[in-house]
Amino acid sequence: MSDEPSDATATAPAEVERGRGFAARWSAFRDREFSTVVVMSLGVLVFPVVFNSLLDGYNQLATLMLIWGIFAVGFDILLGYTGLLSFGHAVFWGGAAYVAGIFSASVSSDPLLVILAGTGFAVLLSVIVGSLSLRRGGIYFAILTLTFGQMAFYLATSPLAFLTNGENGFTSVDIGPLFGVLDLHQPLPGAFGMLPGNTLYLFVGVLAVAAVAAANRILHSPYGIVFRAIRENERRAEFVGLNVWRYKLMAFVISAAFAGVAGSLFTIEGNYVPLDSLYWTTSGEVVIMTALGGVGSLFGPLLGAGVYLYIEFIVSGMEVIGPFWHLILGAVFVLVIVLFPAGIWGGVEAARDALAGGED
Amino acid sequence: MSLLVEVVTILLNGLQQGAIYVLLAVGLSIILGTLKFVNFAHGALYLVGAYLGLFITTEVTLSNGLLATWGYETVGFGLGFIVALVVVPIVVFVIGVAMERFVAQPFYNRPDTDQILVTFGLAVVVQEIIRTFVGGQSQSIPRPGWASGPVALPIVGNFPRWRLSVIVIAAVLVGLVYLLVEHTDFGLIVRAGTLDGEMVKLLGIRLSRPYLVVFGVGAALAGVAGVVSGPLANVNPNIGTEQLVPAFLTVVIGGVGKIEGAIVAGLLLGTVQVALIQTGFAAWSRVGLYALAATVLLVRPQGLLGSEVDVA
Repeated sequence: MSDEPSDATATAPAEVERGRGFAARWSAFRDREFSTVVVMSLGVLVFPVVFNSLLDGYNQLATLMLIWGIFAVGFDILLGYTGLLSFGHAVFWGGAAYVAGIFSASVSSDPLLVILAGTGFAVLLSVIVGSLSLRRGGIYFAILTLTFGQMAFYLATSPLAFLTNGENGFTSVDIGPLFGVLDLHQPLPGAFGMLPGNTLYLFVGVLAVAAVAAANRILHSPYGIVFRAIRENERRAEFVGLNVWRYKLMAFVISAAFAGVAGSLFTIEGNYVPLDSLYWTTSGEVVIMTALGGVGSLFGPLLGAGVYLYIEFIVSGMEVIGPFWHLILGAVFVLVIVLFPAGIWGGVEAARDALAGGED
Repeated sequence: MSLLVEVVTILLNGLQQGAIYVLLAVGLSIILGTLKFVNFAHGALYLVGAYLGLFITTEVTLSNGLLATWGYETVGFGLGFIVALVVVPIVVFVIGVAMERFVAQPFYNRPDTDQILVTFGLAVVVQEIIRTFVGGQSQSIPRPGWASGPVALPIVGNFPRWRLSVIVIAAVLVGLVYLLVEHTDFGLIVRAGTLDGEMVKLLGIRLSRPYLVVFGVGAALAGVAGVVSGPLANVNPNIGTEQLVPAFLTVVIGGVGKIEGAIVAGLLLGTVQVALIQTGFAAWSRVGLYALAATVLLVRPQGLLGSEVDVA
């Protein structure tokens, strides 16, 4: 897949004849990397309008969806593209959330610095956890990451309670205005106030677009293609002369960096870090989101995060079926795994290809 | 308290805590070893065992959940603990057989990650079904009369009779499973299937039925673990996910597919946990457990008693 730079006027590939209609032009547009960014940006802008008016949504939930979406997009680089299932990513999400919270309370309250601190911590930690866990493959990798994750949870529960505030969660988060001027909890000044969502949503939205663009860039680069080669056949990749272990570690660190950004944003959004954010069920949540949305796709995990949180926050408030939201979620997840391994996004793609007349 | 008494007390309590881990891990280990199936729903079997045990043993008053809203505030048979101890393994055995047939079999040829995902999802479903019907409150199985109160032991003096009973029950059951796998024709077929399933089939021996039984036996042990820990720990919908992680640790520390390994690892983990609690490091007890596990796995990836061949 060639990656033309962000030249929106580039001509369509030669083999696409002129005048083959909308489908051809759409597929030419779709193949360009810049269009991913455009589509994502438009999506972020339109989403709160649709979500709030048609689906009973509200800005705070839309923000939360994007935050978990960033987490899941990064997780999919590891699970979907490299083929490694980690059950310990809560340690990067929760770890970053705690560091972000502590950093905001005692060093600087600037949101960008807070994110940088949280993400930096997640990356450092992932190098350690990753290089230890990747000594084993398959289920052992899952169990080792689970082990390190749980170790962090129990460390935060009591031995480190003086830092984390133990079971009550970290409450003294103090987030200041962006660059010292822009308060994330106030409406934007002037004409910007007309934008959909609210300031915090747009801030998270910008980072979400950046995250998707970064993931897309990584996955379409020669480096990212090696990830897929490892997923398809690790031994063959090794025979070609690739240092498989290093690529796997890098995939692990990249996914942890996404988790770090998301975890820090979670602290900024909620002004609070619950102890649960380190428990292994949080790792399970991101696994469910990613697999539900569709492993090995760029937008699938975003969709999965959205569906998961929609069921958790909106369906749970509905009459009759509300109390069973978690059960519904589990059942839907099992059905998707058994019947549609490509997830919801796989279904969307199949429908799209059928509409386009078997273009791909 | 002299040092000797303290050490023996730690060992006994560790043995009891370890016994639960062993019961859970032996089943998980033989399923993983023979069927090559990763069962993240093993904790759910423990959960089902605990609740079945609760309702068979006693009558429980429910304060929330669907059953309570439908007017069944008091549920349970009140048949006593012995009945539960006999009935629960049988029921959970049947559940295990059904799981092998309808969940595991379609996934034998799919990647490990898919097996983990589907069983993890199943565990969530089971947990939420239970929470929906009986509510999320914690219950406890009352100790049976014959096993309450202390028992006089040499050196340590009084020791809770129930904890001793747990050790004995676990030892007997695990011993039976060990004999079944290591010293019967059935066990021979299972072990041969582990080494080379194709060859066993070429010899005209059907493996599907032994596999069903192995899954059932593993499940039944998890169910028993749920029943016997009911009088010691809380019974609520979360205990399944809580127990799953230590169970997996026990399996990988001991070496996958090795019953002796699961026993050694379970007792080791139990003793370390209890030792840390009783020597004043309660806050570190869980952390110590995981640190120990991580160390063993990094130094000896195949587990304490695992053989090099098993390393995936």
